Amino acid sequence: MRRIAFLLLAAASLLGTARGETRPRYGGTLRVILQSAPNSLEIPANAGPVEYWDSVRMLALIADNLVTMDALGRPQSQLALAWQTELNGKRWQLTLRHGVKFHDGSAASAVTVAQILGALHTDWSVHGAGDSLTIESETAMPSLLAELALPRNAILKRNASAAPVGTGPFRVTDFQPGKLLKLAANEESWAGRPFLDTIEVELGRSLRDQAIALELGKTDLTETLPLPPAPNGGTQRIRTSLPVELMALVFPANSRAQDVRVREALALAVDRKPIQQVLLKGAGEPTAGILPNWMTGYSAVFPVQANLQRAKVVLADSRQPALTMSYDPRDPQAQLVAERIALNARDAGITLRVSLSGAADVSLVRIVLPSSDPATSLREAARELGLPQPAVHGNSVDDLYPAERSLVEGHSVIPLFHLPVASSAGARLRNWQPGRSGGWNLSEVWLEADSR
Amino acid sequence: MSFRKKLLLIFALTVVLCVVVISVSVLSTMRNSFERANDDRANAVAAQFRSEFQRRGDEVARKVEAAAVSESVQRIALEINRGPSDSGGYVSEARSLADQQHLDFLELVDRQGAILSSAQWQAKFGYPEPAIPSAIGSAGAFLKREELPSGSTLGLFAVRAVRVGEQPLYVIGGERLDQGFLSTLDIPAGTRVLLYQNLNANWNPKSLLDLNGPAAGADKFAPLVDQLRRSAQEARSVIHWSADSADAESFHAMPLNGPNQQLMGVLLVGSSRRPLVELQRQVVSAAMLVGGAGILVAVLASLWFAARITRPVVSLAEAARRVAAGDLYAKVEVESSDELGELASAFNRMTEDLLQQKERTLQAERVAAWRELARRLAHELKNPLFPLQVTVENLVRAKEKAPEMFEEVFREGTSTLLAEVNNLKTIIGRFSEFARMPQPQRKPTQLNEVMRSVLRVFQAQLREKSQIMVHTELEPDLPMISADPDLLHRALSNLVLNAIDALPQGGEITVRTQSAGDRVELSVSDTGSGLTQEECARLFTPYYTTKEHGTGLGLAIVQSVVSDHGGKISVESTKDSGTTFRIELPREAR
Repeated sequence: MRRIAFLLLAAASLLGTARGETRPRYGGTLRVILQSAPNSLEIPANAGPVEYWDSVRMLALIADNLVTMDALGRPQSQLALAWQTELNGKRWQLTLRHGVKFHDGSAASAVTVAQILGALHTDWSVHGAGDSLTIESETAMPSLLAELALPRNAILKRNASAAPVGTGPFRVTDFQPGKLLKLAANEESWAGRPFLDTIEVELGRSLRDQAIALELGKTDLTETLPLPPAPNGGTQRIRTSLPVELMALVFPANSRAQDVRVREALALAVDRKPIQQVLLKGAGEPTAGILPNWMTGYSAVFPVQANLQRAKVVLADSRQPALTMSYDPRDPQAQLVAERIALNARDAGITLRVSLSGAADVSLVRIVLPSSDPATSLREAARELGLPQPAVHGNSVDDLYPAERSLVEGHSVIPLFHLPVASSAGARLRNWQPGRSGGWNLSEVWLEADSR
Repeated sequence: MSFRKKLLLIFALTVVLCVVVISVSVLSTMRNSFERANDDRANAVAAQFRSEFQRRGDEVARKVEAAAVSESVQRIALEINRGPSDSGGYVSEARSLADQQHLDFLELVDRQGAILSSAQWQAKFGYPEPAIPSAIGSAGAFLKREELPSGSTLGLFAVRAVRVGEQPLYVIGGERLDQGFLSTLDIPAGTRVLLYQNLNANWNPKSLLDLNGPAAGADKFAPLVDQLRRSAQEARSVIHWSADSADAESFHAMPLNGPNQQLMGVLLVGSSRRPLVELQRQVVSAAMLVGGAGILVAVLASLWFAARITRPVVSLAEAARRVAAGDLYAKVEVESSDELGELASAFNRMTEDLLQQKERTLQAERVAAWRELARRLAHELKNPLFPLQVTVENLVRAKEKAPEMFEEVFREGTSTLLAEVNNLKTIIGRFSEFARMPQPQRKPTQLNEVMRSVLRVFQAQLREKSQIMVHTELEPDLPMISADPDLLHRALSNLVLNAIDALPQGGEITVRTQSAGDRVELSVSDTGSGLTQEECARLFTPYYTTKEHGTGLGLAIVQSVVSDHGGKISVESTKDSGTTFRIELPREAR
């Protein structure tokens, strides 16, 4: 008797749970707040991480790429259903999804896609015919699919009023530059109509404002610092990505720290652990390499432990000018991190002053590693950091490690941390499964009905 | 320097010395008073500083105490006693607490002395707080050097321990000790206060603060601060800001020590020296005025005194000069009966004695001259008279005893008598000529021509004495002189005649003329037997002669002629080598 009663109780609770989780609801408006206040729906040149992620997340609602990369760096079909390569990677042929239409009703044909990609990559030869798209280059393109998965290669065109027109799950209904973006569900989306009817994106609000609005239930989705979840759970759900950003010290070409011993001593002096534990609130991973361990698996070969004694030995007999260090004032964590690094440098005997005025000898920067494909991220990181492009031809350790080692061994860049990005969702948000590479994936999200 | 000038100088120096001594004494007293006043002011400011220091220290201690008992600090203390916690959550706590308590500095430090949270340098978590070991247990405030991202500064700190378990949590907070602190002091007029933050091993001008921040001209204070840093004792110095000493300031430096007596700062209290310098200038001006007036009075007084005192002396000196010039009739008026009066009387007696002595000498000389004249006359006249007497006696004897021979004796006797009479006439003529020496009739005269004329007169006589050789060395361009050629002719004839007489055995006569500035010189030398020194001394005395038949008037005539022409004659002679007579005559009449 007692066993029957227990089974009945368990079945009842399972039924209750299943009903709450598995019954999506169409309709409703998702309220989102972002920090950046862009004037256009494009990825701005020299964008900081915040602007980058905000632009990418908005673009992802409007437009699709031919392929995407999953967290393991594997290509996933999106507008392109299949692909094959010839001539040792110099020619790629992709088969596009049939019947896909832009928000204006026009077909997303191979010819249109070829025109869009051809305009983005003048060094490519892009041809479309029927459902087939051919991309050729004079040099091998082993990472073409990862390149096509980058947000900058989203298939997006402009209408007569220069508004972006894509094939994504939502279409733009109103855009007030720097203030507001309103999106409506794309009824004819190739992936099926999203559950949400509309999305309203409020622009240009600080993290503090976002947190307050989320706490008060005035928004459903915000950005946040990658903090551990509150002990009491609260009304927020924080989703943290894999480490997809790199915080590093970069020496510009005109830096007074021309002596490699000074740069090496600084690299040895930085005690990353306290910074990660205290200033970054335990988020991120200390690193001395450019690529995170989840991409390569070998980041442990780059030692991250501080070694003051070694730093002083290296610094001995070297010319030690007083150096200045700048940081991104938009980054709320950067100033304290910079000041801590200056303290560490002083312990080693290096005079390093934190200043935002004038040309700095070393800059504390945070860049995005935009792809889960290691080779592509390494190339993008080198470009962002002002380093020479690495000679990398594949994603094997033999390909990646020498290339990455060559980038860091001159200490022109001192990698410090790999950082995740985090978002907070309100209590109404359901079925939210953000990508581990930082994307939001709002097409499958639905809102719980307002109980009020 | 005259006695009057010496007296004047002594008077002036005495007055100046008195004025200088009085001025220096006044200035010294004034300076000492000023320095004492400065010290009093500096001590007052220092006392006020210490009072303010104490008050601010108490205030800091109260604020730190308030922070220590705050809910957030109690919570953190509780958490660190529960076990390892996420120190990342404390990073901003200190700044919030510092803002609440209006503190410039605040740090939360664990029992190992590691910073958990720092308001002034948030990035400094985990670093040791060096003040904790020595500051624990300190109830009051203390000075501490605080490191900041922008550099070091000085602060007034207090520390409190929060004990909610086994592990204490230390709260150390403070306020800046800078120009803001100085502005709270009530500083007297003419005084200013500076604070040197002794943050570096070496002098740093930027660490010297006044009410407006880093003090201008800070490097001027480096020696004073260095002196205090070396001695750790109060020090004083005068800082000169310009060439004008009135711009200088007197500074009193006092050490500000930390808990372990290490020098943390230096308080400098400065006073302008302008009042002192201006007072000194007024005193110096007054002293100079008084000194000048004193010197003027001294000059006038000394003139009066000197005139009164030195008048007899001046009269005595003037009379002495007259006596020295030969005026033995000079007299000094005796005006007093003191030593000067006795001196004047003695002088008058001396001149009277000299006058009487001179008159006695002249009278004796006249008698001697007459005697000499009589002796010469007698001698000169006696020689011819004796033949006259013998001749007359022969004539008488021949008339009486041998009339037949009388005629013959008469002829011979008359012949002898005529010869001797002529001889007497010659002697008398010479005496007459010496007595009748005329004054020279000057006209431009060529001395060489006069000399040649003289030599022509003696040409026949010299020719007879062929063993005498005459050498003439006459300067061809000898200038004309103003002289009487006839008198010169007579004088030079005597010299040449003497030279001929000095060479009975023959020899050489040399005649020279030459110009010598405004004079001409003439010399006549012979190679005769020469003269003794005594003979040379008496040679020009009238009626003195070394010749057997000389009258002793020749050289006297020569000396008279030369003297009448304003010249002088001298003789040089060496026994057995010869004699030289040298005449110097002026070119123009004197």
